[in-house]
Amino acid sequence: MLRILKPGLQTSLQDGGRMGWMQYGIARGGAADPVAMRLANSLLRNPAGHPCLEVTLTGPELEFTADLSIAICGARFALTHNGCSVDNNCVIQIRKGDVLQFGPLQSGARAYLAFAAEPQLAAVFDSFSTYLQAGFGGVRGRSLRAGDQIPLQNCRREKSRQLADGYQLKYTGRPQLRVIDGAEAGLFARDQRELFYRTAYRVSPQSNRMGIRLQGDTLNTEGLPQMTSSGLCPGTVQIPPDGQPIISFVEGQTIGGYPRLAHVISADQHLLAQLKPRDKLDFQRVDLETAVRILCDKTALLARLDTQS
Amino acid sequence: MSLSFQLIQNGDSALDICFQGTPGEALSKVIIALQRLLQQEMALGCWPGLQELIPAYQCLTIVYDPVQITGGGPTFGELHAQLQAFIAKTLASSSFPEALLRTQPSALIEIPVCYAEPFAIDMDVVCAHTGLARNEVIARHHKPEYLVHMLGFSPGFLYLGGLDPSISCPRKEKPALRVDAGSVGIGGAQTGIYPQATPGGWQIIGRTPLPLFDPQQEYPFVARPLDRIRFVPISVQEFESMTRNAAVAMHAGSEEI
Repeated sequence: MLRILKPGLQTSLQDGGRMGWMQYGIARGGAADPVAMRLANSLLRNPAGHPCLEVTLTGPELEFTADLSIAICGARFALTHNGCSVDNNCVIQIRKGDVLQFGPLQSGARAYLAFAAEPQLAAVFDSFSTYLQAGFGGVRGRSLRAGDQIPLQNCRREKSRQLADGYQLKYTGRPQLRVIDGAEAGLFARDQRELFYRTAYRVSPQSNRMGIRLQGDTLNTEGLPQMTSSGLCPGTVQIPPDGQPIISFVEGQTIGGYPRLAHVISADQHLLAQLKPRDKLDFQRVDLETAVRILCDKTALLARLDTQS
Repeated sequence: MSLSFQLIQNGDSALDICFQGTPGEALSKVIIALQRLLQQEMALGCWPGLQELIPAYQCLTIVYDPVQITGGGPTFGELHAQLQAFIAKTLASSSFPEALLRTQPSALIEIPVCYAEPFAIDMDVVCAHTGLARNEVIARHHKPEYLVHMLGFSPGFLYLGGLDPSISCPRKEKPALRVDAGSVGIGGAQTGIYPQATPGGWQIIGRTPLPLFDPQQEYPFVARPLDRIRFVPISVQEFESMTRNAAVAMHAGSEEI
C-alpha cells in the first residue's frame, strides 16, 4: 500500500496511455514525459509503460506499508527518505513504514516515481492513467489527495543500481524544441513565420496536460481562411485568433479548428513535460526526414536500456 | 463515386486524407465508411504502424508510428502510395459507401437542453451578432435534426451539422479557460455540447443535464457518427430534476465497483 500524506500540486497515476480511442475524443494521455517514466521503470525492470506516479512542480509526501524498491526519474526535487537525502536515477530500497518526501523543485517540472509492484486498481479502457480533464482512470479519475491509498500487489525488491550517465537527463529551463511545418504553415505570411522562429516564447501559467500556452510576440492570423475542424495530435502548434501559440499536449483535444503553424517533433515532445510556467523556449525548424531520424535514434537509445538490464 | 482527395502531412506522425467537397452528409458518409473499412483492415493486421483513425468534416486523420513505418515496415513514400491506391480503389467501388454503412444504421437521439439565463452565458453575444431576439435564436437552434459528423475534441463531444446559418456566430478571440460540462455552444457554423468542464472557444447558449460520457458503459458515448440529434428545450426546473436523477444513477453505478 502507498499512502498519500501530502498530495503535492498535481500528483497522478500515469502509464503509457490509451490507444485507439482518439476517434471518440479520448486523447492517448498517459505520462507527459514517457522518456522519464521509461527510465524510472527500467531501473526496476518494469515494462516501459508500467504505471508510475507523475509528480508536478510541488511534490507529495508518501508513506509505504510494504517492503519494495522504487525509482524516481525526470524533474529533480530535494528528495528525502525517512529524513535522509536520496537521489533521482537510482533504485531506492523502501521498508514498511518508510516516508518519502519531495522537497523543493530543483529542475524540470515533472518527476516519475516507479514502483516494483502493481497497483490494484481497475483499468479504464485498458489503462491505469488518470485522464484529469475528463475525470476517469487512475485513482478516482483525479489527482491524488491527502489520505488516498493506492493498494499495491506483487511488491518486489530489485538490486540497487544507478542509471547510466548517458541517460541522466538535465533540464535547462530553456529548451530548444525542434519543429516541422504544421499542415497550415504555408497559409501564414512569411514574416509571421519568421517572427515565430525568432521569438523566445514564455510558458504561460495556464498550461497543463491538455496544452502548453505560450506568451510572446503576437502572430497575425488575419486573412487566414476560417478552417473546418480536423484531427489534432500532441505536439501541434496552433495559432488562435489572439496570436499566442498553443502546443497541444498529452491530454489535448483530438480535433482542432485553429490553423496549425508547426508541430513539435515526436522525439522532443517529452521535453514539453519539463516546462515550468515562465520558462522560455525556442523553436528550431527541421524537415520531416530529420524529425523521423531523430525519433528513430532516440527510440534505439532507449531500447538499448532494456538490453543492459 | 468520383471524389478527389489529397494526402496532407499532419505533424510527423499523422496524415490527413482530405477530400474536396463541402462538409455535409454525403461527405461524412464517405469518411465514416472509409474509416470503418480501414479499421477492419487494421484489425486484420493489413496496415502495420497505423494506430488511430480520426474522422472529421473533410478529412480522415491517420495517426501512425513513424518508427514502425520507417523501420522494417513500408517507407513514407510507400505508405503514401499504398493509401493513395487503396482510397482510389475504395471510392471506385459501386457499393461504396452504402454497403459499409448498413452494418451500423443511424439512430435519432433526443437531448434535453435548458436555454435559460443561468446557462446561456453568451446568448447576448449571439443575439448581438445575429440581430435576432433570444427566443428566435432558441427556436432556430432546437428546430433542426442535426447530423453527428464525428466525435472528438474531448471525450464524447459530438460535432453536429445542420446549424441554421442565421444563428452562426464566430468563436471567441481567446478560448475561455473553463466551460462547464453540458454547455451547448455555437462556434462559427457549428454547434455542440461540451461533455466535460474544459477550456473552449464556443459561444454558450444553453446546457444539457444529460451526461455525454460515462466510462462505465460499454459504449460510453450518447451517439455515433451519422446518428441524428434533436435538442428538446426544457425549463430550469426540469433541468434540476434531471440533474438530480442523473447524479443518482451515476452514483448507483459507481457504488457497484
